[in-house]
Amino acid sequence: MKMLRRALVALGIAATIAAVLRVRGTGGVPPQGGGWQELTDTESS
Amino acid sequence: MTRIAVLGVGAVGARVARQLLSTDGITEVVLRDEQTERLEAVARSLGDGARIDTHPYVAPLDVDVVVLAGPVGTHVDVARGLLAQGMPIVSVSDGVADVRGLLDLDIEARERGVSVAVGVAMAPGLSCVLAAHAAARFDQIDEVHVAKAGTGGPACARAHHRALGAMSLDWRDGGWVQRSGGSGRELCWFPDPIGAEDCYRAALPDALLLVQAFPGVSRVTSRVAATRRDRLTARLPMLWPSHPEGGPGAIRVEVRGRRGSSRDVTVLGAMDRPAVAAGAVAALTARWATQGRLRRTGAGGLAELVEPVPFLAELRARGVRAAVFQSDAAGQAR
Repeated sequence: MKMLRRALVALGIAATIAAVLRVRGTGGVPPQGGGWQELTDTESS
Repeated sequence: MTRIAVLGVGAVGARVARQLLSTDGITEVVLRDEQTERLEAVARSLGDGARIDTHPYVAPLDVDVVVLAGPVGTHVDVARGLLAQGMPIVSVSDGVADVRGLLDLDIEARERGVSVAVGVAMAPGLSCVLAAHAAARFDQIDEVHVAKAGTGGPACARAHHRALGAMSLDWRDGGWVQRSGGSGRELCWFPDPIGAEDCYRAALPDALLLVQAFPGVSRVTSRVAATRRDRLTARLPMLWPSHPEGGPGAIRVEVRGRRGSSRDVTVLGAMDRPAVAAGAVAALTARWATQGRLRRTGAGGLAELVEPVPFLAELRARGVRAAVFQSDAAGQAR
């Protein structure tokens, strides 16, 4: 019983850490220069 | 006298029908949907040019092109039946199984001399046209990376949820690579006002269409923008009812390749409500199919089937505008 309780606690901690790692952080750095402009090379036709 | 059928009048199908009826030369749009009330409401809103075809469907469709805008997962069987009648088809499905099944109809479609336009929405669809347009600037392309943000109607929101919880499908060095959906976080910069969004791998069909369109490409990936909550709950049933229609969405297509002796990158994008953009893209593709303007018969995505410049110009006239990312350091734009 004690072993089962320990296993469940360990699983709970692992799941919590996994969830925190999954939702935190960002995927990179946004571009520091430039920007979006309307595409104009389709106007010729 | 041109007649087009739209099967399914949800958020996208209704937009397709509306776009078609505002197109010169299209005299009638035949509508089918399992939900009779919705079908009648859409037909009423469209006016005289719309005709309802109610279940049970005893007579074959007497139209020039059929647009499949029904639920994801139903397109292949319907397309097979229509193809047997020699009917050109435009499918808006972004389901991996649908796209794979429709592409498998290529030989039969070629034999019958008709086109099956696959993945004709915002992404895939407009994203494929942008990829083809960007690819024309290169001597050889090596990589195509597609990202999308936002959803159309409720069916699109459910597909987004399922895609995040399933295995992704990317092309890498001549082979398919499957990785867990929701992994591979990458910050993607979409056209304004969407801006920067974290995007993740998901079960998206873009690579299936783009690898066929660009033989020799070494990497094709696709990602979808998602919130932390989306990502955490992706493998659970949807916890909240989906909205009638999502807000503004966007796509971003990055093409890397060789031009002369140097390597370069081009980033194109577009911003619009996904269902509106999908409706415009599908309606224009159907119109081109009736005019015989699709590049070839058989099944394929828009990167193969349409000339990008005139297609984008006509989309622009319909209010769907593409954009290019101009960066001082374009190679660091991702």
